[in-house]
Amino acid sequence: MNDILLDLKDIWKTYDLGATSVHALGGVSFEARRNEYIAIVGPSGSGKSTLMNLIGCLDTPTKGRYLLNGRPVSEMDDNELARARNEEIGFVFQTFNLLARQTAQRNVELPLVYSGMPRSERVERATEALEAVGLGDRRHHRPNELSGGQRQRVAIARALVTRPSLLLADEPTGNLDTEMGREILSLFDRLHEQGNTIILVTHNPDVAKHARRVVSLLDGRIESDTGNGARR
Amino acid sequence: MKRSDGLRVAAASLIENPLRTFLTLLGIAMGVTAVIFVVSMIEGLNRYMGEKVAKVGSSSFTVQKYGILTSHTEYAEARRRNRGIRHEDAEAIRRFASDVERVGIQRGWGVSPKYGSRSVSDVQMLAQDYDAYLIESPDIAQGRGFSQGEVQRGALVCYLGWEVADKLFENRDPVGRKVRLWGRGFVVNGVAKKQGSILGHSQDNFVSIPLGAFEKIFGSRRSINLIVKAKDPLRMEEAVDEVRMVLRARRHLRWDEEDNFGVITPDSLMSFWRKLTQMIFSVALFVVGISLVVGGIVIMNIMLLTVVERTREIGVRKAIGARQKDIRFQFLAESVMLCAAGGVVGVGLGWLLAYLVRTITPLPAAFPLWAPILAVVVTSAVGIFFGLYPARTAADLNPIEALGREAC
Repeated sequence: MNDILLDLKDIWKTYDLGATSVHALGGVSFEARRNEYIAIVGPSGSGKSTLMNLIGCLDTPTKGRYLLNGRPVSEMDDNELARARNEEIGFVFQTFNLLARQTAQRNVELPLVYSGMPRSERVERATEALEAVGLGDRRHHRPNELSGGQRQRVAIARALVTRPSLLLADEPTGNLDTEMGREILSLFDRLHEQGNTIILVTHNPDVAKHARRVVSLLDGRIESDTGNGARR
Repeated sequence: MKRSDGLRVAAASLIENPLRTFLTLLGIAMGVTAVIFVVSMIEGLNRYMGEKVAKVGSSSFTVQKYGILTSHTEYAEARRRNRGIRHEDAEAIRRFASDVERVGIQRGWGVSPKYGSRSVSDVQMLAQDYDAYLIESPDIAQGRGFSQGEVQRGALVCYLGWEVADKLFENRDPVGRKVRLWGRGFVVNGVAKKQGSILGHSQDNFVSIPLGAFEKIFGSRRSINLIVKAKDPLRMEEAVDEVRMVLRARRHLRWDEEDNFGVITPDSLMSFWRKLTQMIFSVALFVVGISLVVGGIVIMNIMLLTVVERTREIGVRKAIGARQKDIRFQFLAESVMLCAAGGVVGVGLGWLLAYLVRTITPLPAAFPLWAPILAVVVTSAVGIFFGLYPARTAADLNPIEALGREAC
């Protein structure tokens, strides 16, 4: 079924701490279809960051199988993971993680630099992406000349510029005040309506409310899953 | 990622930190400056020696009891073996060596000529026969040199170097006056044109007299020096070989014995000189090598610091799709650019120093084209060598851990 974007089966992540070993994830299984809007919630230490890293191809599971877009991430080497991150995933971080000395435009271009896109095409795509998040007039500003909300929107433009299969956001409103947070969340809503698949990792129930489906983690396992609400 | 983009990324991060970049490349720049300067000085000295001292391209050479001696053992050995050069040797060369145009005889000695109550010490006395006088063919600025008759009968005449004439006679005209040497009066025929100095050694501090006059006073049993002029400057080597054969035959040397006399050609002077400068050069190169290694270590240190400082940036780059080799290339490119830039700055400074030397002193200091090319190639290699480890460190960073560092 081509409609399934993420397919995780019995995923384990174990950290070996010398004498003892810690199971950050203990047998997580779930699927996500295209154009879902999922929130992964749970208290700190529940394993949600580990899960996010696995979904985002930053790490591979100790045990279990993970298919992203039909490709087995669990068997990829470093280069293939980097490629998957570049093509399939758009990251949005809590702390924005923009390159401080580069303009918004350059920051947004960066993923395309790594995919080897020619310069002129790159500039065009980055401009488009910045316009899509409403920052067409801030293209040549550096991060320190932008507000927090604007910075996060630059980060979102950077995540979208490669047209990824999945937008993966880690506490995207955590460093923003309520007003700006709301602004970012309504941008996510709009992106979802436009057909993007979004996974949001948060511990904030108000943020999770925006998602159509909420997956709760506790102690490395899925405690509850509201299911494919959008597909009902 | 394309290579050109990688280079652009690396260049951008160097330009963003101009002070750090400058301080980092300073060490390399200094090393390269030193090597370019040393090469320029040696090249300048070589040219200077070739033009002024060895008179490369001239067609005459000297035969004397001792050649160029470079060590005490050589000297001791030569003292034991070598025989003096005699008038008969000159005669034999004149008779048997067909590539030789002329053989002159001369002797040198330190004297203190006097005029009235005035005296100049440490003057070079040159006793010449007529052939030597013709080979030398001095430029006489005032009066005249020697006539053939004067030389043949050993007349008590002389001509003076410009400096000696100036010191002894000041403003008076020396021509026709008598200079005293060894208690005898020598009539001054003329004064040679001023020649200046070579390496601080005055070329005008001499008095020339006929060889006959010298031998009348001191006898002819002492060793003489021969000054030999080849017929054809291009057949200099053949002339040298002929002269050696004649002398070896006269001395009954076996084929496997070394010469027991010395032949000094412009070439042998130059090669002696080059041996000397090569030694200076290799010492200088060693010193510069050390400074390049130190400069490289400085760069490695700074690059390692940069990797730590930019851990988060590396994490971000990896998260959005940079592969290990992209990161490695970026950091390697940075260190190579730093080193190469240091090399270029060094070449520039070295050129400037050489230019100053050339302008201020008579030394024609200049470096050959290979020096800057080699400098940039070597410094780039230093950049690769010392950049490899930091670049690997950066490339091997785990993206999750890298992203975990606190943001600014």
